[in-house]
Amino acid sequence: MVRARADGLRASEPVPAARIADGVKIYGRGEAAVLALDHVSAAFAQGALTAVMGPSGSGKSTLLHCLAGLDRLTAGQVLIGETDLGSLDDKSMTLLRRERIGFVFQAYNLVPTLTAQENIVLPLTLAGRKPDAAWVGRLVASLRLEERLGHRPSELSGGQQQRVAVARALVTRPDLVFADEPTGNLDSRSATDLLAQIRRAVDAFDQTVVMVTHDPRAASYADRVLFLGDGRVVEDLDAPSPDEILEALRRLER
Amino acid sequence: MLRVALKGLLAQRVRYLLTAFAVLLGVAFMAGTFVLTDTINHTFDDLYTTIYANTAAVVRARQAFNPGISYQTQRPPIPAALVAAVRRVQGVREVSVGIEGYAQLVGANGKAIGNPASGPPTLGEAWPLAADMSPYRLLAGGRPPQGPGEVAIDQHSASVGNLKVGSRVLVLTKQPPRRYRVTGIVTWGSAASPLGASVTLFDHKTAAEVVGQPGKVNEIDVAAAPGVSEPELASRLRRALDDPSLEVVTGTMVAAEGQDAVHQAMGVFDTFLLVFAVIALFVGSFLVFNTFSIIVAQRQRELALLRAIGASRRQLVASLLVEALVIGVAASIAGIAAGIGLAAALKALLGAIGVSLPATGIVVGERTLLVALCVGTAVTLAAAVLPARRAAAAPPIAALQAVDLEPEDDAAHRGAIGGALVGAGALALGIGLFASTGNRVALVGIGGAVLFVGVAVLAPLVARPVSAALGAPIAQRSPIGRLARQNAMRNPRRTAHTASALMVGIALVSVMAVFATSIRASVNSILDAAMQADYVISPASASSMATGFSPHLEAAVARLPDVAAATGIRAGTVKIAGRTMAVLAADPTKVGDLFDVGVVAGRIGSLGANDLAVSEQVADSRHLVLGSAVPVVFPATGRKVFTVRAIYRDRQVAGDYVLPLAAARSNFVEQLDYQVYVKLRPGVSAAAGRQAIERVLASYPTATLMDQAQYKAQQAAQIDQALGLVNALLSLAIAIAVIGIANTLALSVHERIREIGLLRAVGMTKRQVRATIRYESMLIALFGALLGLAVGLALGVALVTAMRTSGVTRLEIPVAPILEVVIVALLAGVIASLSPARRAARLNVLEAIATE
Ligand SMILES: Nc1ncnc2c1ncn2[C@@H]1O[C@H](COP(=O)(O)OP(=O)(O)OP(=O)(O)O)[C@@H](O)[C@H]1O
Ligand SMILES: [Mg+2]
Repeated sequence: MVRARADGLRASEPVPAARIADGVKIYGRGEAAVLALDHVSAAFAQGALTAVMGPSGSGKSTLLHCLAGLDRLTAGQVLIGETDLGSLDDKSMTLLRRERIGFVFQAYNLVPTLTAQENIVLPLTLAGRKPDAAWVGRLVASLRLEERLGHRPSELSGGQQQRVAVARALVTRPDLVFADEPTGNLDSRSATDLLAQIRRAVDAFDQTVVMVTHDPRAASYADRVLFLGDGRVVEDLDAPSPDEILEALRRLER
Repeated sequence: MLRVALKGLLAQRVRYLLTAFAVLLGVAFMAGTFVLTDTINHTFDDLYTTIYANTAAVVRARQAFNPGISYQTQRPPIPAALVAAVRRVQGVREVSVGIEGYAQLVGANGKAIGNPASGPPTLGEAWPLAADMSPYRLLAGGRPPQGPGEVAIDQHSASVGNLKVGSRVLVLTKQPPRRYRVTGIVTWGSAASPLGASVTLFDHKTAAEVVGQPGKVNEIDVAAAPGVSEPELASRLRRALDDPSLEVVTGTMVAAEGQDAVHQAMGVFDTFLLVFAVIALFVGSFLVFNTFSIIVAQRQRELALLRAIGASRRQLVASLLVEALVIGVAASIAGIAAGIGLAAALKALLGAIGVSLPATGIVVGERTLLVALCVGTAVTLAAAVLPARRAAAAPPIAALQAVDLEPEDDAAHRGAIGGALVGAGALALGIGLFASTGNRVALVGIGGAVLFVGVAVLAPLVARPVSAALGAPIAQRSPIGRLARQNAMRNPRRTAHTASALMVGIALVSVMAVFATSIRASVNSILDAAMQADYVISPASASSMATGFSPHLEAAVARLPDVAAATGIRAGTVKIAGRTMAVLAADPTKVGDLFDVGVVAGRIGSLGANDLAVSEQVADSRHLVLGSAVPVVFPATGRKVFTVRAIYRDRQVAGDYVLPLAAARSNFVEQLDYQVYVKLRPGVSAAAGRQAIERVLASYPTATLMDQAQYKAQQAAQIDQALGLVNALLSLAIAIAVIGIANTLALSVHERIREIGLLRAVGMTKRQVRATIRYESMLIALFGALLGLAVGLALGVALVTAMRTSGVTRLEIPVAPILEVVIVALLAGVIASLSPARRAARLNVLEAIATE
């Protein structure tokens, strides 16, 4: 079943966890200007794992950065819950990231001088808050990191590092977690492992996760897959199978 | 390979900028010192040549030895009657006479003009007979002084004292103070005054009376008739006068004497400043070393890639050294330019404080260019050798690995080298301080430098635990502190070397603090034990035994009904056992009641005119006992033999030899008291006594009346003043170290861009980013301060111990200065972090994360 949605909103649902309305992002100026997001609108429902796919350069990372408050739109609106990111200054934006958003990058997620445990609780540490030991314990257990808490990033495998990053992204019980190709640097076993953990977090903790990926198998873990092409949302699939995803990608490339 | 080197340099130019700036500062200081001394020397060479241009020969008394530069007239006067004999000599065109002595002008506001105790001398002279043989030029509107009530004064004094032609001015001489009318204002050649000296010119007869001796003159200056050469005229004069107590020298020689005296004085000044320039460059070399180490580590992958594609180790070292060479040369050239500017500024400053120099250009000698360029470049190159070699030693495989943390180095190896350097440095220092042979100053300097390098080599071994301990308080209080502490601990070598640069300055400041505090304590304890007088009358800021007051002051005070005793102390330069030194002279019958120097044998009170007292130390080392003969050579009167009649303990105040007043009267040229000790009659209140004495002192503005506490305070103030000057000069070394910390932090920020971006992404505020870097900076600075304090206190204790026999009998560790050092270090840390912290906080989160 294929539906292209122009408004990106599902009228029947309550306030979505995050929303982008008519988002435009232009990099550079004049001749060199690149239209990375071309009037994108989409909403991300609470408690769902959404995958974002599309060819290289289609604007996936840009969309994620703008949603996560790491970058600002050229035009349009991003709302995290009821909060309009456009109205926030740097300080408030930082605090919002710290309190309500988690982020997992493709690589380089951890501070090399800190242990895994310290990296996980870093956002709380920065906020000067005490971690909830029970919650951290659950997270660590569900990501199978108990054995590794005292190690520094350089002493962890790539998969372990990414799991630490996921734990860190979840530690503040954020409204939203964004992940930009979290499995990009991993072998297929570690990748499967990590995706299973993310899926579990969504199911067990009712988390909202938006994940960029190139891997159809990874996308098949999602409740919904958004397809971007040339900075526009071109397709939006509900819980597609890997075959459906491959098909959609093939359509996109044409 | 050269292209690679230059490209590398260009790519890193911003990172090298601060390094170059540190070298520039040191070179500028050095070049500035050279330029300033050369300029002053040159100016005075010209001046003396001009002044003596028309003087073919000078007749004056022979001196037993040259006592060196002194504010006192050290040459005995000669009979004025000789002038007639000189005039009769064939080939003499013109004769002028010089009379010179102590005279102190008092300005319209009642304040003394110029203070010989802390600045140039205050002189009285006779108005020159022959204008073309005189350095003085009368300004328009004035006329020469005539009669006993008139004077001419120099332009500088006139402007300081707000005096004009027609003003009445008080002049202090060895006679009672007297008022004169100013009839003229003069310049000294093209300068407002001779090197800032204050000059009062009297007519001939008056000068002989108030500054010279009646019927005597200091020298006779002779101009030659056309066709008569200087040596010819001098030898004719010698033949005609035929008196072994006289000497005749040519005008050229007298000019050269004056020039030499200036060169000598400037040489001392020059050396003093150069010491600080060398310290600055030494600290700068730490910076160069550290910057190169960091940059080379950051370029490890690039360098390994070059190795992988076939560059040899030598080529790599050479290419890095070319980078160092270019930086060294560029920084040195800029430093020389800055130094010339600095010298010009200092010259202007000297003018502003009264040492007016004739308007001549700035002299930039070849020595300045050559030495400054070579030293600046050599320091940069030498400091870069080790980092370059270490970088080149990296295996090509490193190109494929991301090296994040610096590799651990071999602790045992490091410990051995550092320990050996510390040992060698301490040994050289110990020999320099405690042994009595060899070139002690050089040993102390080299030993100190080696010791510092040794400590810097060892410092990385303790950097981690020390940073951990120092950072514990902030780490406990805030998570940001914890991060900062971890950052300071992650590159122990970098932290330690950055801190070591600060260590040098802090160590030197602490040595000086221990030394000064100990001297102060020693002086106080001696004064407590020895001073029995109620008051000391002393020049306002007696630092040297420069000049003093008329003996009339002592007499006037002694006449007061409230005063039981008053005795003046005189000082003069003599030569004893081959050493030129200043000795004190006092009335033996009175001094015992006023000052107890701790006599251990004999009695000071029984000193006759041909007796003296010696310190216990000299008595021991020269094997003198009561009754031993001690020959003393006076510049004016030659060799006299004295008999030891007393031996005393306290040489701090009295010096090694004390002469009776009678010996001073018959052998010193100037008869001035440099201090007067006063004891009140029993029952007279301190307030009443003070009031009575101060009435007498009203006409002696250079004299200050001090009780024991005030006198101690004055001595302490003098020590503090000297300490202040040294600290001000050492602050350059500290400033360079601060640049070093800023540089290291900037390089670290550069290297941690992604990490900072990540931290910002997960919620670190800008303020927290800045705080992290500030805390790290403060930790490094604190580490440096502690190293410096440890080394400095140890050196200070050694220095004071070595100085025990020279009168520094108390060892005192100052608390307040130590706290100040710590506060200064923390402040330095904050200042050093400002720019790197701002840069880090400004980083764009996304760009930072994307940085490869
Ligand atoms: N900082 C930037 N300055 C200029 N153009 C940029 C910048 N960042 C991204 N772009 C451009 O914007 C467009 C979208 O980039 P984006 O990184 O969002 O793509 P992507 O879908 O994440 O691609 P990929 O799958 O390769 O990661 C691309 O054309 C890219 O070149
Ligand atoms: Mg991308």
